[in-house]
Amino acid sequence: MEKPFYIFSNGRIRRKDNTVFFEYGDSNDESQEEKESKPANRRAVPVETIDSIYLFGEVDLNNKVINFLGQNHIPIHFFNYYGYYTGTFYPREYAVSGHILVKQVSHYVDPGLRFAIAQEIIQSSNHNILKNLKYYERRYGDLSGFISHIENKNREMGSSRSIEELMGFEGQIHKRYFEAWNKILKSETFLFDKRTRMPPDNPINALISFGNSMVYATALSEIYKTQLNPAISYLHQPSTKRFSLSLDLAEIFKPLLVDRLIFSMINHNQIRENHFESNLEFCYLNEKGRRTFTEQFDEKLKTTVKHPSLKRNVSYRQLIKLECYKLVKHILGEEEFKGFRMWW
Amino acid sequence: MYYIMVYDVNVKRVNKMLKLLRKYLNWVQNSVFEGELSDSQLERLKHEIKDIIKSNEDSVIIYAMESKWLARDIIGLEKKEIGTII
Repeated sequence: MEKPFYIFSNGRIRRKDNTVFFEYGDSNDESQEEKESKPANRRAVPVETIDSIYLFGEVDLNNKVINFLGQNHIPIHFFNYYGYYTGTFYPREYAVSGHILVKQVSHYVDPGLRFAIAQEIIQSSNHNILKNLKYYERRYGDLSGFISHIENKNREMGSSRSIEELMGFEGQIHKRYFEAWNKILKSETFLFDKRTRMPPDNPINALISFGNSMVYATALSEIYKTQLNPAISYLHQPSTKRFSLSLDLAEIFKPLLVDRLIFSMINHNQIRENHFESNLEFCYLNEKGRRTFTEQFDEKLKTTVKHPSLKRNVSYRQLIKLECYKLVKHILGEEEFKGFRMWW
Repeated sequence: MYYIMVYDVNVKRVNKMLKLLRKYLNWVQNSVFEGELSDSQLERLKHEIKDIIKSNEDSVIIYAMESKWLARDIIGLEKKEIGTII
């Protein structure tokens, strides 16, 4: 069974005996000499069980291990010192299909076809946002104003004709949604004024940014397993920034994966002030904070739900892959794309 | 399924077994490995084991369990961590 591996320690990844070895020192603040004289700690990671690798620590890699991971179709996601997503080593596509690529592009080029997919993505995302609010409405109350406002906007959005209009509504809905966060979060230290990015300026924004980049990388890992081309997207403008199809998919899953996690981690006091490094102008999760968040995020991805049409348990991570398959079916004209909407 | 594999093979072949199992499972003790495998991975692994061992001299036992073990008590040293967050 393949699982993602998250590396926070500093060290080196090596190929040895046709599998992956991770070597690391005991402590970060040892001097260079001490490090070299001490035998390194080694951990053999079974290559067959690696789905993808997330690198947060200071890690050395050589081309031998990159070639090896490439052969085994394992993408490596890099994050910089501040936990920002840097990029992905995206191994050679192994599930290529010219036919699907052509279809994928033709659905982008035709404004009508593109708009249909974009609208479905936004509506699924809105549905999931509302699900979150309704869940907390049942628990804490006081959110009905936000819910009805977003529902109204949602209806208005039905009349939009262009992606720009769609994005406008999406912005308004998110603004309202973020305002509701202060009612959900039961903590004095974590207050949410407005969404800021690059750099985030308070802990909540730092959590959202970090969480979103995790979803983004996870979606990319799942797209890699399918025949879809990650650079051709519908809601987001392709050709700008990164593999934009994973931004599209991430949009649908952020409420389920990131927002819910942030609410519960803050309300259960799992994430605290000392998990952040902040200054006047910026705020980032520190290593401990990132580790804590990632542990919970990984647990979240493993959570399973009974799928109504597949009639078996699927994990949240598999739901992302299913979303890719739905998109494939849609562009092949087999079945209309219905975005993932939380049904529980 | 979650598997525990133990092997008792001629010393000429222990190294080969070790290297093979490292590709699929987590090392927990000398000649003991454990971890989750899919059905196809297990079949592939069995084939590769059969290629290495001599069936009249060596023995490999595969314990399968529904999910992970219910509990694991370690008396003495914990040899290796097997989580996915390193």
